[in-house]
Amino acid sequence: MKTFLWRIAGAVAVAACLAPAPAEAQAPIKVGASLSLTGTYAQPGSYQKEGYELCADHLNAKGGLLGRKVEFVFYDDQSMPATGVRLYEKLITEDKVDAVMGPYSSPITEAVANVSEKYQKVMVSPLAATTSIFKKGRKYIFMVISPAEAYLEGLVDMAAKRGLKTIAVVNEDTLFTKASAVGVAEIAKKKGMQVVFQEAYPKGNTDFSALLTKLKAANPDVIAASTYFDDAVAITRQMKELNVSAKMYGVTVGGDLPKFYDLLKQNAEYVYGSTQWEGTLPYPGQKEFVDSYQKKFGHEPVYHSAAGYAGCVIYAEGVRRAGSLDSDKVRDQLLKLETRTFFGDYKVDPDGFQTAHKMVMFQWQDGKKVTVWPDDLASGKPRFPTPGWGQR
Amino acid sequence: MKRWFFAGLVVTLAALALYPMQGTGYGVRTVLQLFMWIALAQSWNLISGLTGYVSFGHVAFFGMGAYTAGILVTKLGWPWLLACLAGGVMAMVLALVIGWPCFRLKGPYFAIAMLGLNEVLRVIVSYFEGLTGGGSGLSMPTLLHASVPIYYAMGLTALLVTGLTYIIITSRFGLRLMTIREDEVAAEAMGIDTFRYKLYAFLLSAAGPGIVGGLAARDQGYIEPMSVFPLITTITMIVMVLFGGKGTIWGPVLGAVLLFTFQEIVWARFIYLHQLFFGGIIVAVVLLMPRGILGVLQQKYNLPRTI
Repeated sequence: MKTFLWRIAGAVAVAACLAPAPAEAQAPIKVGASLSLTGTYAQPGSYQKEGYELCADHLNAKGGLLGRKVEFVFYDDQSMPATGVRLYEKLITEDKVDAVMGPYSSPITEAVANVSEKYQKVMVSPLAATTSIFKKGRKYIFMVISPAEAYLEGLVDMAAKRGLKTIAVVNEDTLFTKASAVGVAEIAKKKGMQVVFQEAYPKGNTDFSALLTKLKAANPDVIAASTYFDDAVAITRQMKELNVSAKMYGVTVGGDLPKFYDLLKQNAEYVYGSTQWEGTLPYPGQKEFVDSYQKKFGHEPVYHSAAGYAGCVIYAEGVRRAGSLDSDKVRDQLLKLETRTFFGDYKVDPDGFQTAHKMVMFQWQDGKKVTVWPDDLASGKPRFPTPGWGQR
Repeated sequence: MKRWFFAGLVVTLAALALYPMQGTGYGVRTVLQLFMWIALAQSWNLISGLTGYVSFGHVAFFGMGAYTAGILVTKLGWPWLLACLAGGVMAMVLALVIGWPCFRLKGPYFAIAMLGLNEVLRVIVSYFEGLTGGGSGLSMPTLLHASVPIYYAMGLTALLVTGLTYIIITSRFGLRLMTIREDEVAAEAMGIDTFRYKLYAFLLSAAGPGIVGGLAARDQGYIEPMSVFPLITTITMIVMVLFGGKGTIWGPVLGAVLLFTFQEIVWARFIYLHQLFFGGIIVAVVLLMPRGILGVLQQKYNLPRTI
């Protein structure tokens, strides 16, 4: 009996080996990415990962890329540049991925870009917004979102149009937030506003009372906070506790996450936020993206997920046009490419620096994000001016 | 026994020296970072394992080295190897500045001062933007194919720090340090100038982190205050030493190799759980084998103190 079973097993094994390989059994295209799934950037990093995943699903549903399935290989860089560098080495030299996509955040992209350059791999980096990364003579890195300097342009523009004169700028003292703070201060000066207070706080700071007390003394019309998520929440909360108010108050990253409103409830009302993208913007393919995302992950996409998805779509378009995975051919196509996706416009200069994509400003109104800037994309009017904390 | 050990050591070193010819970019970078952890853990062992003065801010020397090297390379165009050695020197200068007042006191002052030092340095680095780039970090000129030379420099540093530990532990100097650890008052009564010896040990323990900090910075090509002064680096050093066996020669090496390998091979597969595992190991080591793996072996098999 035992031998009989063995024989059957053997026969099956032989048959399996001899059977002709199915037609689509061409090896899948492996795309590598290491993201911040734990540590400081865990939240946005996870959203970005979901964007990549959905993009792979959609590419595969349409028959893959160059007739091959697309598969992602993910790692966690723990929000540390040193780990990111090592993991991209692993992706490229050990896992031998066919392509890489960028990590989350500017500091990590800045470090990792040295690895992708070394192996001459095209790296579309959908969530690096710091100009300097792209202006160092690197050849293979591509930017998708608007630069950090443009994040709060809308806030200043709206304020200047309403005749506001003074602005206070605070920022976390790291690569992206600092560039964004410098940018907003410059735009404000250009528009004839006066920067009456400017101060940075270290990353991981939780007590903003000293900073806010000084800010209150400067009595600005506008408060621009260049933040990530945790500090955006903490600053808003402590502004209420210390009764610091301004006619307009806007934050950069973090203010757009649904969790921002969940944590702050009515205290998030009237807060302006800037984002690279909103699900309600009139771009082509918007509804399909939002619906399928909602269906797959059970929650709404935020701009990190959308940017991840868009970056992956743009890379895929480059590959399709090049008809190959060869880095130099794809690079040529990506430099030439001009397109409008659900995420907005894409066009880069010869350094791979994004020049076409537009930022939007929204305001929290009755628990919803209403796009209020720029005018051609706006879905509502800003509620202006922001009343005191008691009346929100 | 001793001969076998020596032969094994020579074979291991030869294999590591030849590895870059065979290894992939990832392999080289991983072993390079392992060397870094060995040098860091071993250096922490020099001061804290031997004298019992626990340093909670050893990453400060790492960061000092990283920024010294980074600035010298970026602003003055120094060759990186020289810049990294300068990083080691600056770390020792910093150790002198901190150690001089702290070691005149006994007890927990040193631990608290070191904890603060790290935070102070981070703030200082963020403040002097013109020199350090502040929160935007310092981006060094791109150096694409330096992994292998940095691998050797890092390996050599790890080897030298371990050699230094061997020399110290087998010498009268080491005995004096351990006497301080066991009973400082008694040590003084025996005529040991405790201040001087603690300071010497501290200076020696700062050089290694300074050099590897510079090397790590050059390898990564980009540094910022958050990534070179994280508390977790100090904690990892401490856990590696405790795990392997503090106050021994090979304990820190063993701890670094085991924990780093675990992290790389096993925990990488459990993205959301690896920090929990790490915490679990800390608790388990403290509760079950406070003297580390080598400590347990020493007791059980009656091994010599100089292991």
